[in-house]
Order: sequence, then structure tokens, then C-alpha cells
Amino acid sequence: MLGAVGGTALAAALAGCSTLLDGDDEGPANGDADVPDEPIQAGLQTFTEGPAAVLGLQAQYGAEIAIQRINDAGGIAGRQMELDVAHEADAAVENYTQFVDQGKDVTFGPISSGGHAALAPEVESQGVVNVGTDGTVTTLYEDTVPDPTYSFRFQNYDVMECVTAAREAVSRIGADNIDSIAGINPNYSFGQDEWKFFKLAIQQLVGDVEIVHEGFPDLLADDMSTHITEVNNGEPDVTFTSVWGGDVTTLMNQAAANDMFDNTQLVGSILYSAVDELSQDVVEQAQAFSGSRNWYWDFPSGNRWSPNADLSQEARDQYDIVPTAHFMSGYGAVTAWATATEKAVDLTGGWPSQEQIARSLEDHGFHTPAGYHVMGSDHQGKSNAYSGRLEWDDDADSAVLEDVNVFTPQEVAPPIGTDAEEWVNSW
Amino acid sequence: MVVDVANFATHTLNGLQYGFILFLIASGLTIILGILDVLNLAHGELYAVGAYVASSVFGYVTGILASPEGVAGLAVFLVVALIAAVVAAAVLIPLGIALESLFLRPLYERNEVYQLVLTFGLLLVLKDVNKFIWGVRSVRASEIYSGINAIPAAEFVGLNFPTFKIVIIVVGATVVLGLFYFFNRTKTGRIIRATAIDREMATAIGVSTDRTFTLVFAMGAFFAGFAGAMALPQSQATLEMGANPLVLSFVVIVIGGLGSLRGAFVGAMIVGLLSRWAVWQYPPAEIAAPFAIMALILLVKPNGLFGTWGETA
Repeated sequence: MLGAVGGTALAAALAGCSTLLDGDDEGPANGDADVPDEPIQAGLQTFTEGPAAVLGLQAQYGAEIAIQRINDAGGIAGRQMELDVAHEADAAVENYTQFVDQGKDVTFGPISSGGHAALAPEVESQGVVNVGTDGTVTTLYEDTVPDPTYSFRFQNYDVMECVTAAREAVSRIGADNIDSIAGINPNYSFGQDEWKFFKLAIQQLVGDVEIVHEGFPDLLADDMSTHITEVNNGEPDVTFTSVWGGDVTTLMNQAAANDMFDNTQLVGSILYSAVDELSQDVVEQAQAFSGSRNWYWDFPSGNRWSPNADLSQEARDQYDIVPTAHFMSGYGAVTAWATATEKAVDLTGGWPSQEQIARSLEDHGFHTPAGYHVMGSDHQGKSNAYSGRLEWDDDADSAVLEDVNVFTPQEVAPPIGTDAEEWVNSW
Repeated sequence: MVVDVANFATHTLNGLQYGFILFLIASGLTIILGILDVLNLAHGELYAVGAYVASSVFGYVTGILASPEGVAGLAVFLVVALIAAVVAAAVLIPLGIALESLFLRPLYERNEVYQLVLTFGLLLVLKDVNKFIWGVRSVRASEIYSGINAIPAAEFVGLNFPTFKIVIIVVGATVVLGLFYFFNRTKTGRIIRATAIDREMATAIGVSTDRTFTLVFAMGAFFAGFAGAMALPQSQATLEMGANPLVLSFVVIVIGGLGSLRGAFVGAMIVGLLSRWAVWQYPPAEIAAPFAIMALILLVKPNGLFGTWGETA
């Protein structure tokens, strides 16, 4: 069947589909191409320790499972793939430079928005394709590197998840019931970017709203009580937050202790990133809505969509984690590059150059268990965006998203070539 | 008007709680600086070690006590949690003794640069020790936080304020009073102050400066660890958690006067209250507020608010 629709073993494996039918198994695609024998060398920079490891390790695990699937399917044009992982720290440019010096064929990462903004110009300068796993600041390809060649970003970017959060709030609560909002967002480029676009989007969707409080706690803040007290005092209809990982748990624990959830509806772009830490009583008290970027492991549920069941089970068995959107960040970035490169091998008859791989990635469509993704001609990945009600599941003994909403890319992302802020303001 | 007063009261309590946490951290640093004349760059990591150790001790406690119920159950839970925090901090005593006697003591007669380099090295080592023992992911003690918050307190006076923060204020005030009593009223405390004022004279009258310095460093480490244990339940322990408390401790002791315990207390209260009020009125001031406060005070009092150790404890 896959042969009949033009699929390959590689694409099928990464999509999470079952193997080729008997008789169609002709070994890896491009088996006759003139390609080197040695394995493909890939480098991933991500946070392997510290508070951001809650995101960074997910990306690493996702990338590793994708590469395992690539190798099990015979590799890319018969070439196996090897992954070298470096701790991102505050050294995105240095890590990339080291990967290039080591002769890596491709690099992935980073997680940090500031890191990605510093990295992208260097990628253009050194000319080895980097497929970004995160670092989702909106202005990366609008201002920082407006006409990229080698730099790509797989994960949905900030404007997409903020518009998703705004649409989620309106669909759940109703535009007529949102007269005031507040924000508690981390005090760096990502948090400020997310709050900016959530405000823009919500004001376009519901009209003028009173902004009760705009708080920017430090990353790893011990104490968010000032912001929580102001939210309690102002009682906004919606409180938006883009805190992630451990800061989610800190905020939600302290908010619960201060009865904040009695006074506002919490809507978070990435609350689910803290799934491994959230406790049942806090989740049940919060009744929050959370985004999950371009993948939620149980939508569609595993009994209707086996690629999700297989992938999330593999993640649990191998790494003892509940896979989150950041898991798909790593998985999808590797899949994007691998499937585009395989296509380029097929077209050129040999191992493609960096420029040929980059060209193959533009407007490239591919499947993962999360569904269909497109790497746009602007080098920004566009995927469906997921958001749901954060609830506790006794069977899973963890937080889950229920009643999931799915937003298509055209609902939450500007058309190619359109500035995100202009697009939202044009609604 | 009633709502505004309640809001102001809550923000003030937030500031007091924050101030007491800052004092618990800074007290150890200023004791070590004032008596040993050592600026301990590893102080933030001692705070982190306390938090990490507390995560294990609290985990053991909550495994036994589970979900407390009823007045008696909650009271027992609170007492056991406080004892657990002290036990966790007590681990820092032998650690502090080892660090001082093995590494710092040989450098007392050397240039201060050597002490800075050594304590910076200890900072890096302790960070890796935490990673080796507790791993790369953050750890928490959320059950302690939620368990103590189940005790009704502030609602009796019509305020919405977590009981855990009230516990921090009460414990912090107790530590303040205890420290002042120790250094002003006990023989050991007076000997320590005398050693700080005139090391040679103290030696001449038979005081063992080696033993005194070891005791002081161990005390400083204990209070750093205790601060970490008290701060953990409402937050998390991470590998990077030592940096911010170290910087804020410096701000507090610079405001208060290097080596002054009284100054550390006043400095901590000033930073705690003013920074929380500043963030309340202008949220983008979150990072800058403590430093702006320090700069303003130094303009008026370049040497800090109080004198150095011994003269005004």
C-alpha cells in the first residue's frame, strides 16, 4: 500500500505507520544512489540539565526515538544516523560552531528563544542546516534572519500558540464573558513575546479588555505571590501565562494556596510541559486550559490513532516520561530533515549538498504521529495546534488534556510573508 | 477601601515573608564575613544543598505522615516538618566543618583573592555534587507546602494568605531573636564577637581561633541550609538555584553593612518589603528592584546602614 502511494520505509516508520506490505519490501529507498557508507553525523543541542531540562530532555528523547526509527527502517538512502547531544547552556552559537567543526551533517536545537536568535545568523554564516526544535520567538524570521537559507524551525512559534490560547479562552468562556485579563509571564524574550501576542489576539477577538495586571516573574522565581495577590485583587476573567516547566508547578502550587483559581480562569500556552510534576489536588482546583503546541499524545486517542499509542508507549517504556509537545519538537525536527534529505537523494542520485537539502526542506510536507506538518518556504514549520482542559486522570495517574481543541495552521498563523503583528491587527 | 487595605496588607506580608527568607540566607553569609573575614562565594550552593537534602528528608516524612487531617494531625505535621527542616540543615554542619578545616583554614593568612578562588571552586564542586546525588531534574516538597497550608490561619483575620508563609515569618523572627540572644547573651557568642574584634587578643586569653572559626563557618552553613529547607516547599530545588540567593545576600549585607547581623536583618526587611511593593506597583521592576534599593541606600550611607561585626552585632 505504501509503495502504491509513493511512500518509503523511512517515511512510514517516522509517521508511525506499520511496515510495508509483503512483496513491497525492496529495502531502503534510494538504495542505488551514490552516497557515502559512513553514518550521518547529527548534533543536537538542548538543555540536558537544570530547570530547562524538563523541556530539553523531552526534545532529546524525541530526537533519539526518531533516529532509532530511521535506523530500523534502513537509514536514509542506506546510511545510518548517529546523534551527538550537547548541553545547550548559554552557548547556542558555540555548540553549533563545535558541531560544524566536527563535521556534522546536520544540527538540531536550540530550546532557548534568546539562543535561537543568536544562533540563526551564525547558521546562515556557516552553512550547515539547523532545524530548530524550539526557540519560538516570533521575530526570528521576521526581523532577525528575514531571508534564511540554512536555518529552519520545526515547532509552532509564539504567535501560533498565543492565538491558540486566545481562541481557546474565547471558545470556552465566551467573548461576552471576557472583559478583563491579566498576565503572568516569564521575564525574558519568550514571555514578553507571548504576552504581547495574547493581548493582541484577545483584544481582536473580544474587543477592548481591561488589563488588570502584567507580571513578569524571573525564570525560576521562588515567589510569585505579588502577581498572584494582584490577580486576586483584580479578579480578571482570564489570566494568561506562558510559564513553562518548573515555573508552571511553582505558579500553580502558589496560586492554589492563595485561592487564585476562585478569582480567575487560568489559560496557559504550555502548562502541560509540567505534566510530570503537577499534583492532583492542584490540577483539580485549577480547572485550567492548556496548550500543547503541535502535539498532544492522546489526541486522537491511542485506540483510534495507533501511531500516537505506539509513540507514547515507546517514550514511557524507554524513558519513563509522559511525552509532551517538546518531545515532538525533537522528533519532528529530525523527521523533517530526514524525509527532506531522502527526497533530495532521490532527486539528485547522490548525497545532496547543504543547499540542496535546504531547498528540499522548503515547502516540504511530512507525517509524524502528530499528523501532517509543513515546513514553509519561510522556513517556519506549521502544524495543527492543540489545546484542552487540564484534568487529572486516575488511570494515568497524571494530568491529561480533555476535550481537546485542534486549530489548523491557517487559524493561528499568519500567511507566509505577512508580519505576525500586522496579521493579528488586521482581523 | 476595605479591599485596598487588605490588598496592601497582603503585599506587606508577602514582603515580610520574602525578607525573612532573605535574612535566613544572608545571616550565614554575614556571620562568616564578619568573623572570618571571608566572602564565601559558595554560600548560595550551601543554600542549594540544604534545599536538596530537605527534599529527601521531607519526602521521607510525607511518606510516613501521608495526608494529615484534623487539628491534631495538621499540628503534628507542622511540627514534624519543622523538625525535618532542622535535620536537613544539620547536614550542613559537618559539611561546613569539613570545608572550613580542610580548605579555608590554610588560606586565612593569604591574600583574599585565594579565598575567593577557593570558594568559587567549592561552588562548582557543590553544584556537581548536587547533580550527582539528586540528578539533573528539579525536585520539590509540594506535599509539605499543601499540608501546612491546610492549617487555617489568615482567614481568621479575613486575609487570603497561605499558612506556610506565616510559618516562615514566625520561624524567621524566632531565628532573628535566637541569633541576637546567642551573640549578645551567651558566653560562646561573646567569645565569637571578641575574636572578630581582636583576633590576637582573643588568642592571648586562650581562645582557640581555629575552633571558633570552624564553629562560625558551620553556623553559617547551617543557616544557609536551613534557608534552603524553608524555601523549598513553595518552590523547587534546581541546579541553578544557588546563584540568585548569593547575589541577593550580597545586596542585603551591603545595605546592612558588611559583617553586621543587625544590618543583615534590617537590609533583608528593606529589600523584602520595598521590592515586593515595587513589583506590585511596577511589575517590570522585578529584577532591578533590589539593586535599585541598594544603590539608593549607598548614595546616602556608602558603608551600609550599620557598622561591622562585633561593634554592633
